[in-house]
Amino acid sequence: MDVPLYLEPRLESRLASLLRARTFLHTLAGGLGSPLNVVLPDRIAENLAAFRAVYRRHHLSGGIYFAHKANRSSALVRRLAATDAGMDVASVRELQHALGAGFAPDRILATGPKNGEFLWLAARTGTAVHVDSPGELDELAALVRDHRLPRVRVLLRLSGFRTPGVRLLSRQSRFGTAEGDLDGLLKAVERHGDAVELTGVGYHLDTTSPAEKAVALEGCVKALDTCRVRGFTPRAVDIGGGFGTDYLADGAQWQRYTTELTNAALGTRPPMTWRRHTYGLRNENGTLRGALALYPAHRPTAGARYLDELLSLPAPSLGRPLATLLLENLYELHTEPGRALVDQCGVTLARVLEVRRTQPSERSEAVDDRTSPGHLLVRLDANADDIGLEEHGVLVDPVLVPRTARPVPDTGPVAVYLAGNLCLEADMITRRAVHLPAAPRPGDLLVFANTAGYCMDFSADEAQQQPVARKAAVWQEEAADGLPQEDAPWHWCLDEQYWPHVPRRTKGTA
Amino acid sequence: MRFERITDAIGNTPLVRIDPSVHGLRTIDLYAKLEMLNPFGSIKDRAAWNMARPGLATAADEGRTVVELSSGNTAKALAVLAGMHGVPFKTVTNRMRIPEVKDLLLLLGAEVEELPGQTECLDPTNTDDPLTRFHQALTEPGGAYLYTDQYYNDRNTQAHVDGTGPEIVKDLDGRAPDWFIACVGTAGSSTGVARVLREHDPRVGVVGLVSSKADFVPGIRTIDEVQEVGLFDPGTYDTLASVTADEALDGMLTLARRCGILAGPTSGAAYFGAVRHLRELDTAPAPEPDVDRPAERRTAVFIVCDRIESYLGYVRQRRPELLGRPPQPNSLATLADAEVREAPDIDVEGAESWIEREHPLVVDLRSPFAYTALHIAGSVNIVDELFGELVRGGLPFSKSRPVLLACPVGEQSARYAALLSRMGHPDVRSLRGGIIAWRDAGAPLVRE
Repeated sequence: MDVPLYLEPRLESRLASLLRARTFLHTLAGGLGSPLNVVLPDRIAENLAAFRAVYRRHHLSGGIYFAHKANRSSALVRRLAATDAGMDVASVRELQHALGAGFAPDRILATGPKNGEFLWLAARTGTAVHVDSPGELDELAALVRDHRLPRVRVLLRLSGFRTPGVRLLSRQSRFGTAEGDLDGLLKAVERHGDAVELTGVGYHLDTTSPAEKAVALEGCVKALDTCRVRGFTPRAVDIGGGFGTDYLADGAQWQRYTTELTNAALGTRPPMTWRRHTYGLRNENGTLRGALALYPAHRPTAGARYLDELLSLPAPSLGRPLATLLLENLYELHTEPGRALVDQCGVTLARVLEVRRTQPSERSEAVDDRTSPGHLLVRLDANADDIGLEEHGVLVDPVLVPRTARPVPDTGPVAVYLAGNLCLEADMITRRAVHLPAAPRPGDLLVFANTAGYCMDFSADEAQQQPVARKAAVWQEEAADGLPQEDAPWHWCLDEQYWPHVPRRTKGTA
Repeated sequence: MRFERITDAIGNTPLVRIDPSVHGLRTIDLYAKLEMLNPFGSIKDRAAWNMARPGLATAADEGRTVVELSSGNTAKALAVLAGMHGVPFKTVTNRMRIPEVKDLLLLLGAEVEELPGQTECLDPTNTDDPLTRFHQALTEPGGAYLYTDQYYNDRNTQAHVDGTGPEIVKDLDGRAPDWFIACVGTAGSSTGVARVLREHDPRVGVVGLVSSKADFVPGIRTIDEVQEVGLFDPGTYDTLASVTADEALDGMLTLARRCGILAGPTSGAAYFGAVRHLRELDTAPAPEPDVDRPAERRTAVFIVCDRIESYLGYVRQRRPELLGRPPQPNSLATLADAEVREAPDIDVEGAESWIEREHPLVVDLRSPFAYTALHIAGSVNIVDELFGELVRGGLPFSKSRPVLLACPVGEQSARYAALLSRMGHPDVRSLRGGIIAWRDAGAPLVRE
């Protein structure tokens, strides 16, 4: 192996400190089993503060609604309830969870396509409803009338925004109402004036491109102007989420890795993946085709900084910076960050069950890979649905936390495939060979950092009756005098037992 | 030189020697092939004309549209050529990153479509990448397209086999240079020129320049992106090296300020990459003594592919100091924080009665779009940018009339109130908390 192709995770101080707490992590995994999800509720409050700081810098008011679907943790939601954040809920269970965690309905937004139960509970509690379609608006209005409920606050989700000059293509979306059909939608809102109150419009675009979002944001401001002309008094633009997370510590590693993936797809270097998976690239007569189907794991501008950059962009036709446009039109800004708000908020632990060489019959793997001493297959007590990084296209290395403090035999860097605990060929936790600084041994833990956004419990299930990961919340007390805060001892409790006041009457310590 | 058609002016560009005192190479003569002097402004004129020519004559009658994937010079040349033949032109691009080129294309009558960005929520099973869809659309039955396909079309390379390459050899008195350096975009020019030069002398060293991976240099691909180009063959190049945007701009500045060659950053990259590569070879002896060659002096040629004018925005983004101007006398930048803190202001309630009593001139600094939607009755709208321009020349209204300045939150109005006070206005005030405070206090806003 020339140089190991690491993709080291970005670990800020809290997460780095947690990963140094070897005994603590092994005690947790020993008591609660593998896989185990660990969340850091204090960090989510810090991320929220970073978003709020961007609002302040642009003098904007409005709600920052956590997109609950990114993580089911009670601890994270309850910790947020103690801040000025709101909740973006997309199902009746998520709504119940938010209400139960201490969010009053005026801090909750019901989004996404909804069923009758979801609409009913939202309407009954006075939760604002982000209306996905004209049909949903009719259904909501009927509910309100039939049950004599108070008027429900609604926002309209728009899509298909048009651009001046250059036609900016956007992916087709299943959600929202086309900007061009606004008139019809507003007629429906007028018709249902006794049942609903229009408070704003919004979009949610599945793209990393700020230019596309700038078009949509300006489109929303113009749509609100139309609403005002029609006699409504809307107050807010909801720009959804998609602020992204930077998963990697080192951009150069990402550049090098993706170049090697390209070379592997073209066959100019040995394969780097199980069964020559190419992540969407293909070789057509020596020319690269297809597109790399990966999350851009190295994103220097992500989270609150992405929001800042978006708000600083000029509106495509009106020319003013988007933040100024919102502000001078007297609109509030709502955001629904998910992944970005739980950045650095969690890790997934998995115990190593077995380490062995890949079988020599895997001719395509080991034999023509002259530069590598052969790959190891590491079987973990967790499966691909427990650790969603690969499923979400996020390539980032796990961190090895050895079982004992005694020095690890110096194997030098190794390339390993991580396999899951299901009796299923496809249950690979990584389809790529992961490079680690030393070979893991049975009993060690591999810690997958930064899984709290969609990669923790989004698709975990009990396939083959393997247990679904338990979840623990962890936090640090104030450090003793003279000691750096990152070395303060760690405490924990089960996720469902965490309440924001818990840290002050400490539970389990290790 | 007299031509019947503008297309006859394509090609036969000058080869200009760079003054050795600029590049500092002692034993190598460095020549610039000035492709920027093609009639539509770039080296792409050659390829565009060569690729489109066979189909253009009949395209209008057949109702065809010329289509290409280009965000720059190829699109520009094709837009002109298609327009001259009465044929519509459409270009599809990943993100136009040079706004001036985008506007220019629209001006030339092109239709521009931009592809969407990467998805935020990845669906690994989705194989529908936008480019695949584009190619499908082109081959649909009944599709009336003339697709020039610059990344795969051999006529792109051929334009340089027939033109650029032989012109260089002719201008070097029938000899190929020792080195040829070019940036790799479609790989058409480097492949075509390299083929001709090597036929003359297989010892020619060919250097291909790609853009540094985390960077963006217009017209050049990164080491991964070149793999997507059908015309790209790694065997063409003896060396592939990368250039950063910063280095490209350094090269561009040298060409513009010291050589009088007003070329864009792609050419700057080529110059920078050429000098960097040649410096190491400057002192080394020629590989083998050769009766055909002068003993000491060797030659190198690089391509100057387009002009500087379109890249002012690119420069502004990356090297704003190059376009910096000294602060203006009456500008907000000259205000001290203390002056702003002490700016006279008035709260909403006070302002309402002041307006009633003394009828100050109410100036709303927000944009016309926001002003039109809702404003204080009787106010005038001068958007902040314009207001800044106005006060630079002096007070834009009489000192005898009090003035109330309003902006969204009272921040900008405070700064202008401080500035106008310093300029001698006796009674200018800022609306504290701005139009938002005004609205929140329930004071009336109108739409007229």
